[in-house]
Amino acid sequence: MDRHIEEWQQQLVKCVRCGTCRAVCPVFKITDNENTTARGKVKLIEAVTDGKLELTREMQKRLDKCLLCEACSVGCPAGVKTDELFMSARRALADNNGISYIKKIIYTGMTYRSLFNLALRLGSVFQSLLFRDAPDKKGRFSRIPLPAAGLNKRRLFPALAKMPLASLVPKVNKVSNPRARVAFFPGCMMNYVYTDSGRAVIDILLANDVEVVIPDNLYCCGIMVAASGDYGTARHLAERNVAALSSDNYDAIITGCASCGATLKHKYGLVIDDPAVRQKWEKISEKVFDFTQYLTAKGYSREFADTGVKITYHDPCHLVRGMKVSKEPRAVLKSIPGVELAEMKDANKCCGCGGTFSATHYDISRAINEEKIDNVEKTGAEVLLTGCSGCRMHLSDGLSRRGSKMTVMHTAEFIAKAYAAKKEQGRLNQ
Amino acid sequence: MISDEVKKKIRAVVGKENALDSDLDRFGYSYDSSFLALLPASLPDMVVRPLTTEEVSAIMVIANEHEIPVTARGAASGRTGGSVPLKGGICLSLDRMKRIIELDERNMMVTAEAGVRTIDLYNHCAAKGLFFPPDPASWKMSTIGGNVAENAGGMRAVKYGVTGDYVMGLEVVMADGTVLTTGGKAIKNVTGYDLSSLFVGSEGTLGIVTQALFKLIPMPKKRGTIQVMFRALDDGCATINAMLQENVVPAAAEIMDKTSLDAVARLRKMDLAPDIEACVVIEIDGEDQADLDSQTKRIKAVAEKCGALSFRVAKTEAESEELWAIRRTMSSAVSALAPNRIGEDISVPRSEFPEVVRRIRKISEKHKLTIAVFGHAGDGNLHPSVLCDLKDPESAERAHHAVDDIFDAALAVGGTLSGEHGIGITKQPYIVKAIGESGVKVSKALKQAFDPKGILNPGKIW
Ligand SMILES: Cc1cc2nc3c(=O)[nH]c(=O)nc-3n(C[C@H](O)[C@H](O)[C@H](O)COP(=O)(O)OP(=O)(O)OC[C@H]3O[C@@H](n4cnc5c(N)ncnc54)[C@H](O)[C@@H]3O)c2cc1C
Ligand code: SF4
Ligand code: SF4
Repeated sequence: MDRHIEEWQQQLVKCVRCGTCRAVCPVFKITDNENTTARGKVKLIEAVTDGKLELTREMQKRLDKCLLCEACSVGCPAGVKTDELFMSARRALADNNGISYIKKIIYTGMTYRSLFNLALRLGSVFQSLLFRDAPDKKGRFSRIPLPAAGLNKRRLFPALAKMPLASLVPKVNKVSNPRARVAFFPGCMMNYVYTDSGRAVIDILLANDVEVVIPDNLYCCGIMVAASGDYGTARHLAERNVAALSSDNYDAIITGCASCGATLKHKYGLVIDDPAVRQKWEKISEKVFDFTQYLTAKGYSREFADTGVKITYHDPCHLVRGMKVSKEPRAVLKSIPGVELAEMKDANKCCGCGGTFSATHYDISRAINEEKIDNVEKTGAEVLLTGCSGCRMHLSDGLSRRGSKMTVMHTAEFIAKAYAAKKEQGRLNQ
Repeated sequence: MISDEVKKKIRAVVGKENALDSDLDRFGYSYDSSFLALLPASLPDMVVRPLTTEEVSAIMVIANEHEIPVTARGAASGRTGGSVPLKGGICLSLDRMKRIIELDERNMMVTAEAGVRTIDLYNHCAAKGLFFPPDPASWKMSTIGGNVAENAGGMRAVKYGVTGDYVMGLEVVMADGTVLTTGGKAIKNVTGYDLSSLFVGSEGTLGIVTQALFKLIPMPKKRGTIQVMFRALDDGCATINAMLQENVVPAAAEIMDKTSLDAVARLRKMDLAPDIEACVVIEIDGEDQADLDSQTKRIKAVAEKCGALSFRVAKTEAESEELWAIRRTMSSAVSALAPNRIGEDISVPRSEFPEVVRRIRKISEKHKLTIAVFGHAGDGNLHPSVLCDLKDPESAERAHHAVDDIFDAALAVGGTLSGEHGIGITKQPYIVKAIGESGVKVSKALKQAFDPKGILNPGKIW
C-alpha cells in the first residue's frame, strides 16, 4: 500500500483539476457524471492517499468505469499519467477486494496454456449451443444470456476458430532469401478467434521476404488481467512471454494486435518486478513493432493488385495512443492501387470496447460504439479496417445490430488480400 | 443536511439515478479548477442532475421551501471556487441539459441549454457559417451556463468581446422556482430593465440559467496566425499597442513571458532560442487572402520597428493550430512547474500592460517566488501565475502576500481584480477594495431582492 501511495502521489500532484479530460472521455460523454471523468477518478485516488476515502468495493466500481483508452492521459496538459495511475489503483483495489468471480475463472485459465487452448477449442465446438448464427453469418448472437459475464442476449460474438492459429501454421515460416527473421506474437484473439488475420500478418511478412517464427510457449499478453488489477497473474504471464521471446535472437517481434503490442512494448514495465526479467524485457521492448510499423520502417513490396475499393480506418486506442502508430497503417493502405481512404470523424476515438469493459458495462460500451458507427457509416466506405481484434469484434457487433452491409476486416487481411490478388493475377497472365 | 423525506421528493422529480448522495458520488462534485484545497472536501449533501427547465424549477421550489442551499455547476472549470458547494445542500449539475434548441439562421441567433459545451455550440454554428466568438481557453470543457455566469471571455475578446456581448436573452429559474424569460430576438430592446445583463457574471447567486439566446455574426472567411518573438516583454506590448493605434485590430493578441514559454517548451519538448524573452501570438481574420496579407504586412512593419526577433506566419491549418496550442496549454504547463499555481486574472487599461508587468516582476523579487505572466495583451487582461507550495505554510504565506500585492498593482494602474474568472471564493477578500462599499451594498440589495432566503450559491462573492 505505501509503495502505491508514493507511486500515485507523483501523478496526483500534477493534476491541476483543469477538467480538460472531461472533454475527451468517452465514458463521461455518455454518463455525464463527473465521477467517470479522469479528474473524478484522480481526485478519488487523492482522497484515498490522504486517508479520507478507502479502497472499498464502491471505489472499485468507480475505477472500473473506464476504458483505459488513454485519451485523458495523452490529452492532459499537466502530463498526469492517468492510465498508469488507474491501473495501479485497480491493482490496490484488487488486492483489497479481489476481482469478480467470473473474471478470475477466465484469468486462471489464461495462465494454463494447454487448459486455455482446450477450453477455447471445446468452446468452439460447444459454442453453437450457446450462440446462434447471426443472419449474415458474420458472427453469432448469444442464445443463452449469461448475465454474470455481462453477456447480452443481443450481442454479437465472433465464432471461435475450430483450431488455434499456432496449430494451423508451421512454427517456422521460411522464405528463400530472408531479409530478416522475426518472431510473431499472435495474441489470444488472432490465435483463437480471428485466425485469418493472424495468418494474414504472416503472409504479409513472407511476401516481404521476412522469415516468421511463432515461438513456443507464448501466453496471453496479460493486458486484461493487468487492467483488472490482478498484477500477480499479469506478472506471471509477462515473465513467461519474456522468456519465450528472448529464447532466440529475433530481428524484431511483430504484433498484429494493438493491445498485445502496447502491452509487450510498454505495459510490461508496470508489472515486471524482477530486475533480471526487466533487463530482458527492455531488450525485447525495443524490438516490438506493429506489422504496419515494421513495413513502413523497413520498406515493403508494392506488388498489390488494383483493388478499387473505398475504405475507412478506425484507430485502436492501443495502437494510436499505446504504440503511437496511426500514420503507418494509413500509408500502407494508401499505397495499394485503387484504394480510396475516406477518413471518418474522430477516427482515433475509442470504439467503446475497452477489453472486459464491454462485458461489464455493455450499455455504456454500446452507446459509445453507436457514435463511432455513425461516423463510420457517414464515410460511405464499403470496408472498415482496424488493427485490433477487440475493436473489430465490437465494431462488427455494432454494425450487425444495424443490419449494415459494411465489411469489417483487420488491416492485415486487407493488405494480404491485395498481395494475394496480385500474385493470382500474375499466375493467370502466365 | 437534507432530510430523507426531502430527498425522496427530489428523487421523484429527477429520478433516482440523477439524485446522488453516496459519499463517493458527492466527492466528485466538491471541487472546481481553482487552487482551493481538495480536502477537507466541501461536499454537497446531494448531487441533483436535472434534464429540463421544469425539473430545475421543481427542485428550486423544494429547495426554497426547505431553505436548502443550491449551487449550480457546469463543467467546474471555474477558477475561483464558484461551483464549490460551500454550504453543502444541493449541487445542481447541469451536465445533462445539453440540447442546442434552435439555430435561427435568418436572425443569426442560437438558443441552447445551459449544459451545452462552448465548443459544441461553436461547431454547431460554424457548420452553418455562423460565428459564436466567445472563446475561453477552457472552451472544450466549459458550459455556456458557466460562461454566462462568469461572463467568460477569451483571446478573441480584443476584437469580438466577451460572452455577455452576445447574450440576447436568457431563461432563468429564480430562487423560488419561477421561470423567468428575459430579452428576446429583437435587437433593439429597452422594454424595462436589461434583466439579462444582471445574470451575466452573477456566478449562480441570482438564478439558475437554463437556456441562453445568443446572437451570432458571420464567420470570418479567412484566418491567419502569426507568431512574433521579442527580446523583451515591453517590445511585445509596444507592438500590440502600435497595431491597434494603426487600426489593425487582431482577432486575438496573446503575450507570454519567458517563464511561461519555458514551461510550455518543457512540456512540448520544443527548443527556444536563448535570447527570447517574450512571445506574441496574433490571430488575424478577414474577407480573403489579400486582406490577410495586407494586415500581415502592416503588423510585420510595426513589429520590426518594435524590435521583433522573429516573425512567423503559419502556412497551414495544422501549423496555426500548433502555434495556438502553445497558448492554450499555457496555464496547465505553468501549473506543472510547482506543486501549486495561483493563477490570477487581473485586467488593466491596455496602455498599462507593460507597467503592471514591471510591477509584477518587482513583486516576484520581493517575495522570492516565480511568477509567470501571460495573457490577453490585446485587451489588457493578464494572468500572473504565482508558483508556490501551498502545503508549505511559509511558501503559502509569501504567495498570498504576492497575490495581495498583485491586486494592489492592478488597482493602482486603474485596473480590476478579475477579467474573466469572477470572484467566487478565492477573491472575496478583495471585493470591497475593487468595487467599494457602495458597490457591495447595491449588489447585496439586488441579491436580497432576487433570493430573499439566500439559498443560491451562498457564501460567494462577498
Ligand atoms: C484551463 C482553463 C482555462 C480557462 N480559461 C479561461 C479563459 O480564457 N477565459 C475565461 O473567461 N475563463 C477561463 N477559465 C475559467 C472557466 O472555464 C470559466 O469561468 C467558465 O465560464 C466556467 O464554466 P463552467 O461550465 O466550468 O462553470 P463552473 O465552473 O461549473 O461554474 C462557474 C460559476 O458559474 C455558476 N454556474 C454554472 N452554471 C450555471 C448556470 N447554468 N446558471 C447559473 N450559474 C451557473 C456556478 O455556480 C459557478 O459560480 C479557464 C479555466 C480553466 C480550467
Ligand atoms: S486533464 Fe490532467 S490535470 Fe486536468 S483535470 Fe484531467 S487529469 Fe487533472
Ligand atoms: S482512460 Fe478513457 S475512459 Fe478512462 S477516464 Fe480516461 S478518457 Fe475516460
